[in-house]
Amino acid sequence: MSSMAIEATDLCVERGQARVLSDVTFSVAKGDVFALLGGNGAGKSTTLLTFLGFLAPASGEAKVLGQDVQADKKFVHQQSAYLPEAANLYPHLTARENLDYFLALAGVSQTPEDIEAALDHVSLREDARGQRLETYSKGMRQKVAIALAILRKAPILFLDEPTSGLDPVAIDEFNALISKLAESGTTVLMVTHDVYGACQVARRVGLLRRGQLVGLFEAPEGGRISPDEVHQAFAKEHQQ
Amino acid sequence: MKPALIIAAGEWRFWLRSKLGVAALILGFVLITTSLVANSARVGAERASRDSLQTAAEETFRNQPDRHPHRMVHYGHYVFRAPAPLAVVDPGVDPYTGTVMFLEGHHQNSATFAPAFSGARAGALARLTPAMAYQLLVPLVLIVIGFASMAREREGGTDRQLLTAGVAPHDIWLGKVIALLGVSAALLFPLVLAASQALFAGESFVVTTTFIVGYAVYLTVWALMIAAVSTSTRQLSTSLMALMVLWLALCLMVPPVVASFARMASPMPSKIEADLEVAVALREQGDGHNANDPAFNRLRANLLEQYGVHHVEDLPINFRGVVAEAAEADLTDTMNTFAEKKLAGEVAQARVQHWLSLLSPQLAVRHFSMTLASTDLAQHHRFTREAEAARFSFVQGLNRVHAEQMTYTDDINRSRDKGAEQRTRVSAENWRVLDEFRFAPAPASDRLAGSSLFLLVLLLWAAGFAALGRARALALTEAAHA
Repeated sequence: MSSMAIEATDLCVERGQARVLSDVTFSVAKGDVFALLGGNGAGKSTTLLTFLGFLAPASGEAKVLGQDVQADKKFVHQQSAYLPEAANLYPHLTARENLDYFLALAGVSQTPEDIEAALDHVSLREDARGQRLETYSKGMRQKVAIALAILRKAPILFLDEPTSGLDPVAIDEFNALISKLAESGTTVLMVTHDVYGACQVARRVGLLRRGQLVGLFEAPEGGRISPDEVHQAFAKEHQQ
Repeated sequence: MKPALIIAAGEWRFWLRSKLGVAALILGFVLITTSLVANSARVGAERASRDSLQTAAEETFRNQPDRHPHRMVHYGHYVFRAPAPLAVVDPGVDPYTGTVMFLEGHHQNSATFAPAFSGARAGALARLTPAMAYQLLVPLVLIVIGFASMAREREGGTDRQLLTAGVAPHDIWLGKVIALLGVSAALLFPLVLAASQALFAGESFVVTTTFIVGYAVYLTVWALMIAAVSTSTRQLSTSLMALMVLWLALCLMVPPVVASFARMASPMPSKIEADLEVAVALREQGDGHNANDPAFNRLRANLLEQYGVHHVEDLPINFRGVVAEAAEADLTDTMNTFAEKKLAGEVAQARVQHWLSLLSPQLAVRHFSMTLASTDLAQHHRFTREAEAARFSFVQGLNRVHAEQMTYTDDINRSRDKGAEQRTRVSAENWRVLDEFRFAPAPASDRLAGSSLFLLVLLLWAAGFAALGRARALALTEAAHA
């Protein structure tokens, strides 16, 4: 089996008549955090949706844990957790009920103590856990979604604009959570606009522009990617 | 637990927490229960009333004093159509066709006293029958509860969450269908109770069970339709709009259009035209009250020859009674020909409607329900035929008494001669020619056979929406990116 958890090889995706991804190639090693940066329409979400099996490539390959996504979507869904921008959970259910429900559907058996531990892990206030999500802030909902990913013990985590709309404190908390997950061996592929957030948590950052991967940054051993360097490249590509 | 069952349970939890879902469920139960209680009480009262009136009419006829038998021919008799046991759920055409028929010599009267006329005066809801509630309103309740089932997941993005949790698209769809079937089963419970009441009132077990199954299949069609439409739409408003349009078309527009089409496809003369046609035909026949009518010359000649006499006064039987009997037979034959023509026209129209029930599950279940409940047009036709047979039997029985129990001379002189008038009064014992009339539902096997086509149509609708819903669900993975 490949040591890469996520692999894109000459990935081309079309939506309607338009080609939205062209020959994108990258890979993410197990336990790494990879961030895809890009402006609106760069193809970030398309990449994520292709790895989730919701879009079929026109050519090239998207693999998760060595398995072609299109060949076995069920495997990919079992091995991954997906956190969309809006943390789509049920507003009429409490945090605990949402977790219970999705875990049951995923066929994952967890005790109430495990659920409380996961909610502790994401620092969700104890008094909020029995309240319906319709009363939650976006940051709180994101925490529940992360708790779900933790409880599912999914080795792969796909994040779509996870910090969009969060306040700075919530962003810091979120980034800290992602780092903790990566340390425990979870592979993360996130797409974001947030250059500084991406550089804070990702070991590698890819820059997408009009469906093409135009830049790749890697953190030095024991260090972090320079956000200024990435920002300059981002701005330069944006001007072109 | 299987994913589909978890999703179904989740859907129920959502409905019970949403005010709209609970309100729709309560409204559905109130509508059904109200209509069942009201209809059950009404049908029970009508059955008791018609049974007792039938008995009273028979006793009144038989308790008439000694008199001339032809006076009894014109005195007449009433027959009543008692409602079938399953009429507590579906009174069918009973309220519109009349339930009482006056039987007398020389006439075939129409059934009268259609309860719908008094109901109409009491307001439109006086006729909210349980069948109507199940056929028209329960689908509406299901729409209100279920239109959002899949569209809500898609609009809220939770469909992606479900799919990425490893739930197969068809399990999501199946879960929604199971949840809606659960609502249908709950709403069907009052019908089961009412059908059980019919069972205790003497209805066949197989008919009662099939009746419940048919309504269950009908509600399954709606559950599958709602799930299919909700799965096919991305927005709640689109889903609700599409389902409302379907409900309007299938429940409110197609049935009257089909009825109009049936009238055009198989036109019938108006009542005035039909009555005039009968009157013209009857005018050409002899007057049974006049033994000297030339129409009966041959009858007279034959009788004289048969008994070897030269004058009707010498016959051992009363020639006027024989004439009355022969005239009634001829007249009945003519009236039956026209009556059967009219019934055949109605049957032709009904047949067109039966085949066009393919166009709407509501039409299919309506015919299914009336056929099994023995309250359809065919049963009304059977009632008119049985009533006519009863009429002909007692009238001819009295004509036979007229022929055999008095002399011709006394008969023609009874208005001038008091002694003759006394001698032409026959014993009241003769009024026992009247048979008991009790209208019973058609045999269970006939009703089961008659309703099978409609059950098949309902199953086809269910299969169609199941296939559509499943196909749309399988496309969810592709659609989830949008």
